[in-house]
Amino acid sequence: MSISTVKSWPNMTSREEVRFLADLVFKRSSGDHTLVTVQDHNGGTTRFANNQVIQNVNTRRGTLTVMVACGRRHGEASTSDFTAGAALETLNRAERIARVSPEDEEFLPPPLPQRYPIVNTFLEETALAGPARRLEYVQEAIGQCRMENLQAAGIVSSCHTAMGVAASSGLFAFEDRTDSRFSITVQAAEATGWASAAHRSIDQLKIQERTLQAIRKAQRGSGAKEIPPGRYPVVLEPAAVAGLLTWFMSMLDAKAYEKGTSPFWGKLGELVIDPRLSLLNRPDHPDLLGLSFGPDGLPTTVFRWIDHGSLKSLVHDRYSAKKHGIDPIPTLESPVLEGEEPTSPRVEDLIRTTERGLLITNFWYIRAVNPSDLTLTGMTRDGTFLIEDGQITRPVRNLRFHESPLRVFMLVDGFTRPAEAVTPETGKLLVPAMKIREFTFTSVTRF
Amino acid sequence: MSTPDWNDLAELALKRVRASGAEYGDIRVIDSAIQTVRGEDRRIASVKEICDRGFGIRVLYRGAWGFAASSILSTEEVPRIADLAVEIAKGSASLAIDRVRLAEEPRHRDRVVTVCQFDPFSVPLEDKTTLLQEVMERVHRQAGIVRSHAELWARRDRKLFVSTEGTHLDFDLLATQGEISATAVHDGYFATRHFHTPHLRQGYELITEANFLLEAPRIAAQAVEMARAPVVEPGVYDLVLDPEHLSLTIHESCGHPSELDRALGYEANYAGTSFLTLEKRGTFRYGSAQVNLLADNTEPGTLAATGYDDDGVACQKWDVVREGIFVGYCTNREMAPKIGEPRSRGSNRADSWASVPIVRIANIGLEPGAATLSDLIADVKRGIYIEGHGSYSIDQRRYNFQFGGDAFWLIENGRRTHMLRDVIYHGITPEFWSSCDGVADRAHRRRYGFITCGKGQPGQSGWMTHAAPHARFRRVQVISGEARP
Repeated sequence: MSISTVKSWPNMTSREEVRFLADLVFKRSSGDHTLVTVQDHNGGTTRFANNQVIQNVNTRRGTLTVMVACGRRHGEASTSDFTAGAALETLNRAERIARVSPEDEEFLPPPLPQRYPIVNTFLEETALAGPARRLEYVQEAIGQCRMENLQAAGIVSSCHTAMGVAASSGLFAFEDRTDSRFSITVQAAEATGWASAAHRSIDQLKIQERTLQAIRKAQRGSGAKEIPPGRYPVVLEPAAVAGLLTWFMSMLDAKAYEKGTSPFWGKLGELVIDPRLSLLNRPDHPDLLGLSFGPDGLPTTVFRWIDHGSLKSLVHDRYSAKKHGIDPIPTLESPVLEGEEPTSPRVEDLIRTTERGLLITNFWYIRAVNPSDLTLTGMTRDGTFLIEDGQITRPVRNLRFHESPLRVFMLVDGFTRPAEAVTPETGKLLVPAMKIREFTFTSVTRF
Repeated sequence: MSTPDWNDLAELALKRVRASGAEYGDIRVIDSAIQTVRGEDRRIASVKEICDRGFGIRVLYRGAWGFAASSILSTEEVPRIADLAVEIAKGSASLAIDRVRLAEEPRHRDRVVTVCQFDPFSVPLEDKTTLLQEVMERVHRQAGIVRSHAELWARRDRKLFVSTEGTHLDFDLLATQGEISATAVHDGYFATRHFHTPHLRQGYELITEANFLLEAPRIAAQAVEMARAPVVEPGVYDLVLDPEHLSLTIHESCGHPSELDRALGYEANYAGTSFLTLEKRGTFRYGSAQVNLLADNTEPGTLAATGYDDDGVACQKWDVVREGIFVGYCTNREMAPKIGEPRSRGSNRADSWASVPIVRIANIGLEPGAATLSDLIADVKRGIYIEGHGSYSIDQRRYNFQFGGDAFWLIENGRRTHMLRDVIYHGITPEFWSSCDGVADRAHRRRYGFITCGKGQPGQSGWMTHAAPHARFRRVQVISGEARP
C-alpha cells in the first residue's frame, strides 16, 4: 500500500520526494558514481516499570546519505536535514572526501537497476498508531499484572520508516516499512517471567496472550534453588535457540572464511547442524520483518542457507561475491530454521520425553568467548526449570553457559515447528524449540 | 545550512510548554559531527562524515513524563513537537502512581568548551589515511599476520540546553579516539591483539602522542605469539589486572549496579536490575578495604566531565565504594528524592537530541593504592597477568560475571613468564572485589572511555570514563575458552 493513501501525520517522505532529492544530488555531482540513501523515521515507545509509565517518547528522524566515487576513491557524508541546500552541502562533503581518499581496490560502482520482490512491509494500522494506542496496550498489560498482584516492566513501540536508495546508475528502490514491538518482564518476588513480540502490524502483538505467558513463567519461577553447574540435557525455548542462532549467523562472513579467521573455516558444503534442520531466508513470510531490498539497493532473496544440515553459502559483500562469481547475493535478514518433520508438536512434548534436564526460557548477555570455535557464554534468564521424569518439577537459579552452537546444534534430540522469537539481543526469527542432548554450564548466580 | 536561531527555537518551545500547565520542561538542541576513517587489511575501507542535527523536548505534566524529538529545525516543527510532548506527558499522567518530583538544582547559565590543542576536524584527511595505511603496513610486515584493522574517530557536539526553570547552558564538546588490531593464524586457531587510545575529551594530540607506528609492530608480534601460546590450564589463579582491563570490570560489576534507576526496577525489562538494593547503601561489603571506587565527573578530559548533565545539574564527585563499603548511587533529579537525597549526582544523559535522558554510570574509577606493578606480580606464586578487553558477560543483577582479556601472561614464582591463550575468569561481584589485596599507586593510573554502553528502550549508548591503576585479586576461578567435545 502506498503511504499517499494513508492519513498519517506528519507526512512521511514519499517516493517522489526521494527521487527529487536524489536527482538534485546527481545533477550536481562531479563524481563518476553517486549513491543517495534516504531514511525518514517516525516512531515512539511507551515504557513502563513498577506498573506505571516511566518513559514515553516519540521521535521523527531523517537521514540523507550521499556516497560519491571518483574512480576507486570514495567518500560518504550524511545529514539529518532534507532541504535542498543541506543535500548539496552533503554532496560537497562526500566529494571532498572522495577526492583525497586513497584508491580502494575493493570499490565497486553502485548496482544497475534491479527487480525487487513484492514484500508487504507496510501496514496502515501501525503507521496510524500513536501514543494513545501504545498507552492503551500498556494499560492492558499492567491491568493483567495488577490483577495477579505482580509488578510489570516493558515496552510498546510502533514506527513507520520510509526508505529509499537511488544511484546514478539508474538504480532506484523505495518502500514504506512499519514495525511494532511489545515486551514484558513480570516480577513475582525473586522470580521473573518474560515474553515478547514484534510484527509489521500492531494488531498482531497479542498483548493479553504474551502478558499471560510472562505471568505464568514468573509465578512458576518463585522459590528457585541452586543446582550445580555441569552438563545437562536441555529443552531450549525458541528465544534461547534464537540467541545461539543469531551468533551462528553473524559469523558467516566470507572474507573471514577466506582469511582463515572464521569458525566455519573448511566447513562450507559440510554438515554444520543436525541434518534434519535447514536454515532459510524468507523475506516473503508474513510473520517476519522481511524487506524487499537492503541498504546497498540490492534485492533480498529467498535462499536456503543450510540445507539438511549442510552449509550452502557464506555472507558476501559485493566485492567478495564478484570475486567468487556469486549472483544474486544471498541475503539473511528474515531467517527461518525448520525441519521437514518436527519430532514434537510443542515444547511440552519435548519436556515430556526428557528424563532429567533443564528448560531454558531465554539467554542473556551472550558474547563470543572463542571465535575460533564459536564458543559463547551467557546467562539463562526469566525462567529456568528442572525437568524430572518428563515434568517440570521446580525452578532453579540462573546458570552461566559455555558452549558452541557448532557443537550443540549437532546434538539435537528433538525439535518443534518454528515459532516466533525476538529477544533484546536478536532480531525477529522463526525457530523451533529444541531438545539438546548435552549442554555445558560453568557457574551459577545468586537468583 | 542556515537554521533559525537556537535560542529563539528554545524560547518558542518553552513558551508552549509553560502555556500547557506543565510543571517542568526543557529543550536540547544538538548538532553532532562525527568523522570515522576506517582501514582494513592495508586498504582504507571507508571515510564517513555524519552531520546529525535536531532537538528534543521533555515535559513533566502532573508528575509524569513526555518526550518528543525531531530533526526538522523549523519554527513550524518546534511548536508541533512541544505540543506532542505535552500530549504524551498527559497520557503518561493518566497511569501515574508514584508522581515524579524533581530534586532541587540551582539555576545555571554557562558555556562549556572542550579544551584541545589540535581540532581533529581540522587535521587534513590525507594525514589520517596515510597514518592508517602505514600502521597497517607495519602490522603486515610481521610473518603470520593475516588481518589488520586501523581506525580514527572524532565527534563534536554543539548543544544548547534550556529549561523552564531558567537554566541556560551552551556546550561545544569534543571527543577523539584511535585504534589498531592485528590478527594472526596458527594451526587453525586465530588470535587478535589490539592497541587503542582511550576515548577522551581531547583533540588530535591524543592520536599523535599515542605513536601508533611504534605500537603496530608490537601488537603484531604479540598476536603471533598469542596464536601459538598454550591454552590456559583451568584452575584457581591469582590475577593481576591492568588498568584497561579493570576499566571494563569496574564498568560492568560496579558501574551498572550503582545506577539507581536499575536498583529501583526501571530497567527490569532490558538491561536488568541491581544486586545493590536500597537497604545495602552504607552497610554492604562490596569489596576489601583496599577497594575505593570514586565517581568523578569533574576530571578534565574524561567523557562524563561535561560541566552539566542533561538535567542541567552541575557535574560532581562522590564515593560509590569507600574502603570496601557500598555508599553511593549514580542518580538524576527524578531518582535522587526516592532515596531521600536532596540533590541529584548529575548522572542523567541522553545519547543524542533524539533520546530522552536516563541515569548513566558516572566516571567511576578505582582509587590508587601504594604498590607498584612489580610489587603486585612479585607476590604471586601462580597467577595470570591480563591486559585489555576481551569477552565479557554478566547477569542482569550484576552478580555473576565472566571476563576474558586481550592478552594474558602466566606468572610463576613472582615472574611474568610466557603468553597464554583462551583465559576466562568468572566470579560473583562482591566475592571478587573482596579478594582484591593490592592496588598500584597513582603513577600506574590510566583512563579508558566507553561510548557504547547499552541501556534503555529504545536503546541508547552511554559515555563515561573509568580510571584505574593495576590491581591484584587472589584465588580466582579460571577456565579455558574452548568448547570441549
